[in-house]
Amino acid sequence: MAGVVGGGGSVPSLPPPRPKSPPEYPDLYGKRRELAKVQRLEREIGFLEEEMKSIEGLQPASRSCKEVADFVMGNVDPLIPTTKKIRRSQRFWKWLCFWCSGVSCLDVSWICCCWSPSCCECTLCSCSNPCRRCRMPKCNCCSSSCWNSKCFSKSSTSTCSWINCCAPKCPSCLITCSSLRCKCYPNCPKVNTSTSSICSCFCNKSCCCSCYPCYFCY
Amino acid sequence: MSVTELKERHIAATETVNTLRDRLKQKRLLLLDTDVAGYARAQGKTPVTFGPTDLVCCRTLQGHTGKVYSLDWTPEKNRIVSASQDGRLIVWNALTSQKTHAIKLPCAWVMTCAFSPSGQSVACGGLDSVCSVFNLNSQTDKDGNLPVSRMLSGHKGYVSSCQYVPDEDTHLITASGDQTCVLWDITTGLRTSVFGGEFQSGHTSDVLSVSINGFNSRMFVSGSCDSTARLWDTRVASRAVGTFHGHEGDVNTVKFFPDGNRFGTGSDDGTCRLFDIRTGHQLQEYSQPNGENETRHVTSIAFSISGRLLFAGYTNGDCYVWDTLLAKMVLNLGSLQNSHDGRISCLGLSADGSALCTGSWDTNLKIWAFGGHRRVI
Repeated sequence: MAGVVGGGGSVPSLPPPRPKSPPEYPDLYGKRRELAKVQRLEREIGFLEEEMKSIEGLQPASRSCKEVADFVMGNVDPLIPTTKKIRRSQRFWKWLCFWCSGVSCLDVSWICCCWSPSCCECTLCSCSNPCRRCRMPKCNCCSSSCWNSKCFSKSSTSTCSWINCCAPKCPSCLITCSSLRCKCYPNCPKVNTSTSSICSCFCNKSCCCSCYPCYFCY
Repeated sequence: MSVTELKERHIAATETVNTLRDRLKQKRLLLLDTDVAGYARAQGKTPVTFGPTDLVCCRTLQGHTGKVYSLDWTPEKNRIVSASQDGRLIVWNALTSQKTHAIKLPCAWVMTCAFSPSGQSVACGGLDSVCSVFNLNSQTDKDGNLPVSRMLSGHKGYVSSCQYVPDEDTHLITASGDQTCVLWDITTGLRTSVFGGEFQSGHTSDVLSVSINGFNSRMFVSGSCDSTARLWDTRVASRAVGTFHGHEGDVNTVKFFPDGNRFGTGSDDGTCRLFDIRTGHQLQEYSQPNGENETRHVTSIAFSISGRLLFAGYTNGDCYVWDTLLAKMVLNLGSLQNSHDGRISCLGLSADGSALCTGSWDTNLKIWAFGGHRRVI
């Protein structure tokens, strides 16, 4: 190592180390950093001036709002309840169900349940045995009076309505589903059961109403 | 030039920047003739309504033993990866609730995770300032752990967010506490581009979130503690394409709107906002007045597939569903019976838009789907 004194007496000893003050370096790092900050701001000024010019030709916000609205309304959303205008043919079913509910009943109410575009309109049918032939899922009523009853196939349904029905069952589902999800259409395929699943129903797409990948029924 | 002179130049430049920003703000205000809600109301639009069973929790994914910080869905199939304070990534089958992988991380301080487009790999990042990539098909080691297949090192601060470039398993964008975003080539493990930083025009504080445009994967947006969101073009790293002001707190989360022409933000100021990337206009603010002594930050956001719904998770455990058109809160998932017991830290929508997954500090993830009656015409 340089500066290590040897053992021979003839060798002149090196002068002892003298501490030196560090050279007066300019604060390069701080200066460079400061310069970088300034340059960054000056670039920012350039960008802002550009933006100031370009803003003159910008469209007003309403144009963008219209684009948003058009996009949103033009797309189907699997997470949103769909409520669409009732078509003429549907009006007939609604009328039929309404008529059915008000007048001494002809046994036609099954039509509105089974063939009405919307089974919710079954609530309008208060005839006895309203959904006798309806192939929509059987429901268990939430109300204690008809708990576990299949209200839609009971002869008296005055206390049971679709609204009160909280747990539809797929036709061959042994365990009651815990939600309204498992709404089976006519010709529902076989439905398996599994205790591990939330819904306890293994349905496929054709079984569940508008199931995309059906998180209840798989 | 002396340091003193530089400081004087700095002061002068700051003043000029502030003046220009004010003038821009004034000019922009003149162009804001309406917002989305005003426009929609004028068009006679009515808010979305949810019945009590329309949007319900249909799965609770239990397995983490620490706070859940991040989640991501696979683009295909129905798998989710989640990252937790317990130092693990868990890959879930969302349909069966089963765990397919539980990956013990070399560094437990994980903050973010992402699924690759092919579903073959997952990536995560955190306080180790590294983005680690795991190939899910790799053989586990003798301890049963999945080895790291690639470590992306180069950030000088924590990795707060990562997202794979759509349709490319080999490229990924990270956001970091070092004020930059980085585009990585996973094959080589090298940085392809750095966005922002000390010597470039970019964020002036920690970057917390990134979102890549699904329609144009060269464009991405970032949110930062400097209260701004910035739009970037991966081909031009030197400067942001646009800077979006308006928030009065850290921008914790950013997400592209499904049309690719707008993006949403969520912030510590408790609001979510919708910005237009072409005009820079803030099109809408989504906020509700805070209760007394309540400070509620937005932690995470996601849009439904049509863009009609904006899901926003908050630090107080709320998870609002906003009607984006009417700027009305139409449902609070946090108030439902089987909701989370803690802060909603992350949320995301499945690729087909049929399910929402939320992650919480209560250690659970929950899957929400439409459980109501769908009228058919």
